[in-house]
Amino acid sequence: MSSNMLAMILAGGRGSRLHELTNRVAKPAVAYGGKYKIIDFPLSNCANSGIDVVGVLTQYESVLLNSYVAAGTRWGLDTKDSGVFVLTPREKADAGLDVYRGTADAISQNIDFIDNYDPEYLLVLSGDHIYKMNYAKMLEFHKEHNADATIAVIGVPMKEASRFGIMNTDGNGKITEFEEKPAKPKSNLASMGIYIFNWKLMRKMLLKDMKDPNSSHDFGKDFIPVMLNEGRTLCAWEFKGYWKDVGTIDSLWEANMDLLDDKNTLDLNDPTWRIYTEDVAVLPQYVGPEAKIKRAYITQGVEVEGSVTNSVLFTNSQVGKGAKVIDSVLMPGAVVEEGATVTRALVADGVRIGKGAVVGKKNSENILLVADHVKGKED
Amino acid sequence: MANKAFGIITSAGGNFHVEGLHDYRPIGAFSFLGRYRVIDFPISNMSNSGIDQIQVYVSSRPRSIAEHIGTGRHYNINSKRGKIQLLFTQINNPMSVYNNNIAGFIENMEIIERMHLPYVVIAPSYMIYKQDYSRLLDEHVESGADVTLLYHKVSDARDAYIGCSVLNINKQKGVLSITPNMGTAKEKNIFMDTYVMSKEIFMDLARQARAQSSAFTLSDIVSAKCEELDVRGVSHRGTFASITSLNDYYNANLGLLDLDKADDLFRSNWPIYTRTTNACPTQYYDTADVKKSMIANGCLIEGKVENSIIGRDVHIRKGAVVRDSIVLAYSDIGEGVKIYKTVVDKWAKITSGNEIKGTLDHPGYVKRNDKI
Repeated sequence: MSSNMLAMILAGGRGSRLHELTNRVAKPAVAYGGKYKIIDFPLSNCANSGIDVVGVLTQYESVLLNSYVAAGTRWGLDTKDSGVFVLTPREKADAGLDVYRGTADAISQNIDFIDNYDPEYLLVLSGDHIYKMNYAKMLEFHKEHNADATIAVIGVPMKEASRFGIMNTDGNGKITEFEEKPAKPKSNLASMGIYIFNWKLMRKMLLKDMKDPNSSHDFGKDFIPVMLNEGRTLCAWEFKGYWKDVGTIDSLWEANMDLLDDKNTLDLNDPTWRIYTEDVAVLPQYVGPEAKIKRAYITQGVEVEGSVTNSVLFTNSQVGKGAKVIDSVLMPGAVVEEGATVTRALVADGVRIGKGAVVGKKNSENILLVADHVKGKED
Repeated sequence: MANKAFGIITSAGGNFHVEGLHDYRPIGAFSFLGRYRVIDFPISNMSNSGIDQIQVYVSSRPRSIAEHIGTGRHYNINSKRGKIQLLFTQINNPMSVYNNNIAGFIENMEIIERMHLPYVVIAPSYMIYKQDYSRLLDEHVESGADVTLLYHKVSDARDAYIGCSVLNINKQKGVLSITPNMGTAKEKNIFMDTYVMSKEIFMDLARQARAQSSAFTLSDIVSAKCEELDVRGVSHRGTFASITSLNDYYNANLGLLDLDKADDLFRSNWPIYTRTTNACPTQYYDTADVKKSMIANGCLIEGKVENSIIGRDVHIRKGAVVRDSIVLAYSDIGEGVKIYKTVVDKWAKITSGNEIKGTLDHPGYVKRNDKI
């Protein structure tokens, strides 16, 4: 391992707040930004940061996620000692099949996997964030501060700070207090759910946490507070840049819409920090003779014959003649047939909006998730 | 596939020169439809036909081809059982009469000899078409022919395919001779420079060609042997283009803006593979106005694009108009610039106010890296 740091991505449960989008695929395999999947971000960040081995922790078996990440070649995680591994709860010689009881427990149950690589540091990531981060810089900070653990934090608007886990620090970046969703926040530094731990210490503490009947085995609720109580050195590393948690349909839609903004700081075409993804054999995007496209983010394999305004179109989606797509996201393979209108909606993978159908409303409070085919007027 | 063949992909002989583009790379490395390179088509055809031992002959400027093909993994070729080899010739002058395909075969005869498969399919890196070679090979074996050649019946041979070869065929599809297309008639059976034969006959023909003349090509020797050997033609149907002149290159690209035609070439059961560059999707701004075009990923479009093909990472700025044109990757079309019927090569930067036009019967060309 070149960086002596192994990464574990908490890909979590089914992502129930994303509703039908995650019925068939686990949350990290949900599509984003035209051609990507959410998990491409942490995986590309790992590859670009020189991390070779990545474990993806998921509660549920997911064939699609499994086969997707197994091709480590996509992110360049394909040298001799590198790889991406999906780790679901397993039956072990001394323990029956169990679920992951919490985020910390998911790591505890894979101590044997981590031991195989004998890393010095363990990086714990969340699987549903969109951002570009150089974890090597965070590790540098961690080493410089002789920390036992380093937590990445981001400044959030003070009035929103009570929605987050807030870190209070001394002048030197050392965390003095951690408050989960405080009513009266003392700082605006929110935890991003990205941690670096010294593996030897962490291993010892995890073994203890596993046996603690009072622990819910969660990083935020149990593990970090215990570290603070024990007087360990915890540091906050401040991240500056684009970061978005895409846990809900609205935030997933917003994160896509952010790509249309001129001032968006998430540059997906930065040659020094590419986001890698699955390679598909499709034609370039085709724009028909009567098409109208204003403010759009469109990827290869898309066919547009109608009109597209302020929308993001994913691989192989189609907009038929006379159809209108406004303020919407068409996921891979979604089809809007002739004359149909889609407004403020997120149309799920492969869903067909029939001829002349109308879905979604201007000024609707929430974004409409269209997860089933919509019949056309003539069907 | 009961019958087994290895593949050979040849590069264009010195008789072909495509204005401009060819100065920088072999035809196989030309960008096609903004996303592909011409050589993706023969390699994908082979890969999809179950041919996983492929030799690519490169006669000049190997960098772009070598970089593009790499390990060949993106062509869906098994990395253990299969392989793509790049084979070079020592004669590097692309215009030299000595730099022909026979020279490449003779220099690499040892490697050909070591191939353990009984048949060979030879296809050019400078033509675009879809063909299932396993069916062609089966047809070849069933017919009992010594050599099978693929041809396409065209009705525009007077203006296009100049310098390509023509098969002169009798009613039984027996090939009588192979002659150059001089543009003397509209209807011709254009030879697709695609051969199927046994490895033994192939090696024998290459050696005989060399014995006859250093300038002899594979088609010269096959033509000379038409009486002695059983040489047959098989007619190809579907989209076919020879990328052997700037006009043909231009027409082949723009012709596929008719999606029905493109559909025939790009079926999901016959993927055309290429190397990904990990470019992000394309951004259309408020001022964008795009009609009847193919656009690759990574572009920023603020201007007007009509009936054109735009390669990767191209920036079309405000007020710019690109019509009936092909813009290759990384080019920058400045504010208010007008481009009509022109091929703009990679990395060109055209700053504001310029107007560039081709003529009615010949597209214009802007050099690679050029600043106008």
